[in-house]
Amino acid sequence: MIPFSPEVFFALFEEYNLAIWPAQIVAYVLGLLVLGLVFRPSVSGNRFIGAILAIFWLGNGIAYHWLYFMPINFAAPLFAVLFVIEALILWWRFIIRGDLTFRFHRDIAGAAGVTLMIFAMVIYPLLGMASGHNWPQAAMFGVAPSPMVIFTFGVLLLATPRVPIVPIVIPVMWALISGSAAWFLDIPEDVSLPLAGVVAVFVLVRKNRRAS
Amino acid sequence: MSEKQTSVFNLSRRSILGGIASAGAMAAAGQFAPSIALAQPDSPLTRAIPGTDERIPIIGMGSWITFNVGASQKLRDERAKVLQTFFDMGGGLVDSSPMYGSSEEVIGYCLGRIKNRQTLFSATKVWTVSKSMGTRQMKASAELWGLEKFDLMQIHNLLDWETHLETLKAWKENGRVRHIGMTTSHGRRHGDLEEVMGSQPLDFVQFTYNIADREAEKRLLPLAADKGIAVIINRPFQRGTLIEKFERHPLPDWAGDIACANWAQFFLKFVVSHPAVTCAIPATSRVDHMRENMSVLKGPLPDAKTRQRMIEYVEKL
Repeated sequence: MIPFSPEVFFALFEEYNLAIWPAQIVAYVLGLLVLGLVFRPSVSGNRFIGAILAIFWLGNGIAYHWLYFMPINFAAPLFAVLFVIEALILWWRFIIRGDLTFRFHRDIAGAAGVTLMIFAMVIYPLLGMASGHNWPQAAMFGVAPSPMVIFTFGVLLLATPRVPIVPIVIPVMWALISGSAAWFLDIPEDVSLPLAGVVAVFVLVRKNRRAS
Repeated sequence: MSEKQTSVFNLSRRSILGGIASAGAMAAAGQFAPSIALAQPDSPLTRAIPGTDERIPIIGMGSWITFNVGASQKLRDERAKVLQTFFDMGGGLVDSSPMYGSSEEVIGYCLGRIKNRQTLFSATKVWTVSKSMGTRQMKASAELWGLEKFDLMQIHNLLDWETHLETLKAWKENGRVRHIGMTTSHGRRHGDLEEVMGSQPLDFVQFTYNIADREAEKRLLPLAADKGIAVIINRPFQRGTLIEKFERHPLPDWAGDIACANWAQFFLKFVVSHPAVTCAIPATSRVDHMRENMSVLKGPLPDAKTRQRMIEYVEKL
């Protein structure tokens, strides 16, 4: 029940990317800052990471889903609402409550978290290019849902002492939605989304079990 | 639309309905008779809307996915060429829905750039709940198409049909819409649609029927013929999967006898040669595919015996 063709989907990305340029550069800078901060944790750094994630989700909900995706997809308003809810959850969990630390540990959760973050910023776009999805038709880090969701998985896995469950629910839902769309729209790079979701859930369960 | 009269059907309504009803009954036994004749050289094949003198070309155009191109100027202009080809080759019924994303808006854009659209038979759907939202949506659709009123307003997938049908009956009485109908697709909710067809004054129904999915032959098509309801067929190619599946196979030697040069024509001719079918609405985003589809309007169509051969040939592959 996907109401548009791959041709239209990538034409939409082209229009979106050109309209929001140079937000993609800003997103990459913020992503690199987050990546650096997990190696040098601090109270303000934690809040900054939480704020960046919330801003990514809010931006994707409003700019991508509501303003650009809605004209071609009747489900986009629902996606926009889910993304804004996720932004609020992240804000509440990491800014208002603020009782978790994002920290890289030399363990499976740490390795998985950083790998997913780097995957979202580097490998995902390269996979996209290998599939013929080049700028400006590419789903760019931070401003397009798929790489942003993989990045979120990575960051959440670094939460210490436990990975919070509530903030990961909507990303997992999106991974499943996007994974099915990847099949119908022939977007091989998006197959990585459900895989990242599986990794995130598996590592979350393992890490939280050990923490308790 | 201007009422297009052709010399294809010089039969009275009673004889058409009688023929359809008996053909439907015979279809169940796998032996129904042909009910369509060759068009004259330049006249497209048309069928009558039961209960009226109005005729519509037997090939229309769907817009699911194909016309949902958003704001892309390049893709909009390409679709305008597709729609232009549709009208150039004698097309009439264009079908859409608010569910199809930007399709209605894009159709409106294309119609604004097409000159020979006098044969347009505009058909869209209401796809929401509640009377107020339905009314608002139907008005919005008219604005998107750039029309004052639709030729046909259908209730999409039977969603809140009791509410919308009351609105549409009133609209039809007031002349705000010419015909009213109800749709389903993918073979879903045939039982519910059958109930509505049996109890409500519908002008049109729309459902899925193709050479691989002939479920509608059992009850819906005979019932439509019996009740005098026009039938629009969606997914005549099963959204392209039929063509993908069979294009590696050759057409039968006798395909030329029914003027089929490709599988698209083969599958379309099968659908529209059913006597209870008024119109099929294949969707395409390509001008060359539109030409293939529209060439079916020039006939000839298979008779009952040939239809059976078509089924047997496809089932053997």
